[in-house]
Amino acid sequence: MADITKQGFDRRRLLIGTGATGLSLIAMPSILRAQTRELVIGGAASHKPWVETHVAPMFEKKYNARITFEGTRSLVNLEKMQKNKDKPYLSVVQMDDPVMILAVREGLLEPITAAKCPNVAKLKPGTMHMDGMWANYLQPWQGIAYNTNVLKEPPASWADAFDPKFKGRIIGKPMAEAYKDIDAAFAKLKTLKANLLTAYSQMPQAFSLLEQGEAHMIVGALSSFGMQRRLDGAPINMTAPKEGIFPVPSGIALVKGSPNIDLAYAYVNELLGAEVQARIAPPTFALPTNVDVPVPPGMPTNATVHPIDWAFVAENRNSWVQRWDREMAI
Amino acid sequence: MSGARLDRMIWLALPAVAYLAVVYALPLLWLLGRSVTGPDGFTIAQFTAFFADPFSWRVMGNTLRIAFWVTLLSLVIGYPVAIAMARARGLMQVMLLVAMILPLSIGVVVKAFAWQIVLRRDGVISQGLVAIGIWAEPQRLLFTEAGLIVGATNVFLPFMILPIYSVVKLIDPRLTEAGATLGASPFYRFRKILLPLALPGIVSGSAFVFSMAVSMFVIPSLLIGDRFQTLATLTGRSYLLMRNEALGSTTAVILLVIAVSIVVLSTWLSKRVGRSL
Repeated sequence: MADITKQGFDRRRLLIGTGATGLSLIAMPSILRAQTRELVIGGAASHKPWVETHVAPMFEKKYNARITFEGTRSLVNLEKMQKNKDKPYLSVVQMDDPVMILAVREGLLEPITAAKCPNVAKLKPGTMHMDGMWANYLQPWQGIAYNTNVLKEPPASWADAFDPKFKGRIIGKPMAEAYKDIDAAFAKLKTLKANLLTAYSQMPQAFSLLEQGEAHMIVGALSSFGMQRRLDGAPINMTAPKEGIFPVPSGIALVKGSPNIDLAYAYVNELLGAEVQARIAPPTFALPTNVDVPVPPGMPTNATVHPIDWAFVAENRNSWVQRWDREMAI
Repeated sequence: MSGARLDRMIWLALPAVAYLAVVYALPLLWLLGRSVTGPDGFTIAQFTAFFADPFSWRVMGNTLRIAFWVTLLSLVIGYPVAIAMARARGLMQVMLLVAMILPLSIGVVVKAFAWQIVLRRDGVISQGLVAIGIWAEPQRLLFTEAGLIVGATNVFLPFMILPIYSVVKLIDPRLTEAGATLGASPFYRFRKILLPLALPGIVSGSAFVFSMAVSMFVIPSLLIGDRFQTLATLTGRSYLLMRNEALGSTTAVILLVIAVSIVVLSTWLSKRVGRSL
C-alpha cells in the first residue's frame, strides 16, 4: 500500500483522475457532434447513386460532416418541407423546377446568394431562377432519340418528325417549342397526329417501343435515359436538332431556417462548382451549368439550350393538358 | 338455425365490416363530399360543368363502348371454355382450371407489356392476319381501340369463365340428353335448356367483367396511351397531373355510379332469371 501511495495513487489524485475522466465522457458527445455535423438532403431517388459516389465522400472529408441523402420524389420533398416548416430538418433540396415554384410560393426556400455561394458567379445565364431561389446544378437535356437500325443518319431537325414517311412511328412528349404562342403550337402539333404513335408518360415503355423498331423516333427524349440505354447496347442514339434542345428540370435550393445553414451553403456551392459538376455530368449524361466545366464527351457541344419559363408552364399546364386531351385525341 | 344464433353469427362479419369502413367507406364519403363542395360550400356546379362539356360525353362514350366490347368478347370466348371445363373430367379438367387460373398470378403490367409485343406491326396477330390473307400488309393494333379490347379481354377473361363454369357444372348433363331423345336439335337444346340454366352465371360474369373494364386504368394507359381518355384515366389524370381534385372526384363519382348501377342491375336480373326458371 505504501508503495502505491509513493507512486502517486493517493486518494486525492484518484478523485481528480476520476473527475476528469467523467467530465471528458460527458463532454464527448458534444465534441463528436461538433466534429461530424449532419447535413440532410432531400432529392430524387435517382440522384442517390451519384450523390453517394461522387459528392458525399469528397464533401464529408472536406467539411468534416456527414451527408444523409433522402431519395424520393420532388412532391414528397415538398411535403416534408411543408410538414416541418416550423422546425425544418432538411437543409438542401434537389427538386424539379416546377415543384420549386410551389416551394417558393409557400415561402419554404432561402435565396442562394453569390456572397454565400461564390460559384453562382460561374453559372451559365438562365440557370438561376426567381431571384436566386434555386439554381440548376446540371442540365439533362431533351433531344431526339432515334432507332439506329432504321435511321442511318440522325434527324437534323425537330421538323423531321412531321415527315409523312414516319406515319405512326413517332412518340412525342407533350411539349411545344413555341410554347408562349400556344395557338400556333397546337395548330402545328395537330399536323403531327398522323405520325404520332403515342405520347409517352412512362419512359421505359417509350424506349422499349423505340428499341423494338415499332417507333422510329422519340421527340423530346431525356438524355440521361437515352444515352444510358445506348451504353447498355440498345440500337438507339440521341441527337440535338439544329434548332436547339430543352433543359430538363434539375434544381437545387436551400431550405429556409435549415439546420447547419453554413454547411448547406457549402453543399450548394460545391454542386454549382466546377469540381463536382465535372464529376457528375458524364455519368448523368447532362450538360454542366458551370461555365468552367467542358461538355462531357458524346454530349452536344454547340447546341442552343432554350431555357423554359417554369412559372409560365405551371400557370398554364392544366389548360394545355385539357387542350391536348381534346385536340390530340385518337 | 334459430334467429338468436343467426344474430350472434353476424358478429363474425365485424372485422371485415370494420376494415371496409375505414379503408373503403370513409375515403368514399370524402370523395363524394369533395365532388359536391365548392369554395362557397355545397354545389353541384362541378357535375353541371362536366355534363355541359361535349368532351365529357366523349370520355363516357369511350368508357362504356370499350367496356361493352370487352364484356361481349369475354362472353363469346369464355362461354364455350366454361362449358368445356364443366364437362371435362380428371386430368383434363385440372389442366383447364390451372391454365385459366395461372395467368391471374401474373401482374397486369407484365401482361400489358406482353400484349405490346403481340400487338405490334410485326407482332403475332398482324403477321397471322397477313399470312391468312385477311390483311394485305402488316398493321399496328397497338394504341388502337381494337388492341385495347383484345388486351383487356385477355386480362379479364377468367372473371367471365369462373362464374359461368360454377353454374354450368351444376346443370345435370342428362337434361340435354333428354332433350335430344325427344328430338330437339343441338341449337334448340342450347337455346332452350343450356343457355337459360347458365344465365345466372352469364349475368354474374358479365357484371364482373363490365365493372372491371369500365374502371380499368393501367391497361388503357399502357395499350392505348393518353390520347384516349376514359373516366378512370381522366380521374387519374385529374389527380396526378392536373392536381384538380374537383374534376377528379366528379369523374370518380360518375364512374362509381355506373359501376354500382351495373351491380344492382345484374343482381336484379339474376333474381328475375332465377324466378323465371
